[in-house]
Amino acid sequence: MHEWSVAESVIRTLVQWSSKNRVIEIKKVVISVPSFSMLDVDVLREAFDMMKGEYSFSGTLLEINIKEPVFKCENCDSTFSVNDVGDQIEKIKLNFGEEYPLHLMPALVPAFLVCPYCGSHDIEVSSQSITIDKIEVEKS
Amino acid sequence: MNPLTILAREKLKTKKVTAVMSAKGGVGKSLISALFAVLHSKREKTVLIDLDIHGMSSAKLFGIENKLHNITRDGIAPFYIQGLGIITLNGIVKDRYVILPGSNRGDVMESLISYSDLRNAEHVVFDMPPGLSDEILILNRVTKYNPMIVTTPSKVSIKTVEQLLQFLNDIKVTPKYLVVNMAYINYENTIIRPFGDSTYAKKLSERYNVSLIEIPIDPNIEDFVGRIHEYNGEIIKKLSTLL
Ligand SMILES: [Zn+2]
Repeated sequence: MHEWSVAESVIRTLVQWSSKNRVIEIKKVVISVPSFSMLDVDVLREAFDMMKGEYSFSGTLLEINIKEPVFKCENCDSTFSVNDVGDQIEKIKLNFGEEYPLHLMPALVPAFLVCPYCGSHDIEVSSQSITIDKIEVEKS
Repeated sequence: MNPLTILAREKLKTKKVTAVMSAKGGVGKSLISALFAVLHSKREKTVLIDLDIHGMSSAKLFGIENKLHNITRDGIAPFYIQGLGIITLNGIVKDRYVILPGSNRGDVMESLISYSDLRNAEHVVFDMPPGLSDEILILNRVTKYNPMIVTTPSKVSIKTVEQLLQFLNDIKVTPKYLVVNMAYINYENTIIRPFGDSTYAKKLSERYNVSLIEIPIDPNIEDFVGRIHEYNGEIIKKLSTLL
């Protein structure tokens, strides 16, 4: 369900961007979501498509990239990937179910995951937020 | 262009917003936020959003520590207690501790605002983290607000309040109230001021043109932790003079 809020944030951004740049039609918007947020890409696209008409973006396509963040431990200086903490993520999902905290708020990562090498919570995540990477407009 | 910021602005666009702030921790800010929100919920649709994510005190005060928020297409559904909506990170992470670096804290705070279902709110009350932290900058980024500053009569607290008032003055935000919590005890009709009088607070309120209100200590308040909405004692009576 959270995908609907994400879709709304993308559409609101398009509304603001298009009025600022005096653009009427947007061809495509490219966004990136972090893999560990486990957003359902189909639901996200469905939500976007259902909502976009209301804001006169009926012709806008949504492209979603899944980004694989790099984790860096500030304590022992190791770097690691989502795969290295896959078991930890599974445990959290088991505990919380579908709306698990990292799904709703990827920035909660350091509160839930520990460095697989030293066990520290002091970890930094590259590209943990949902970003709008590109907006394509029809050439006039 | 951060979609989180844009959505947070959109959600708060037409709302009345009060930010309950304190320059220091431990002054009873969360209690004042909770009672202030309870009072307002009787006359307008009010949602309390607990942004003091390290404390998450509102969940404890209202006795909703073990509940998880429902997530719908419209976002995080507030818990409703006698008409007051409550949004807390506690309802996302269960009773788990949350320790986060500053930038992540900001993101989580913005997520709590932007992903909340505020369709039913006329007035949003924020319980802000204590101190002069970057959370205040994030609040400025997303909305206009009425600050309500909570302090105790203690000199240490008041000194930092002055810095907070200076900061707000610099960014041209005018606080509405300076709440001096734990100002006195009414013991058998004798007023006792265990933390000193409010002389310095009064000077500050005059200098910065903020209304000052003194809140008494009520030893019975502990009995209402977990059901703060049922509290009807001296603190809330005094707070209701603000309405
Ligand atoms: Zn480590």
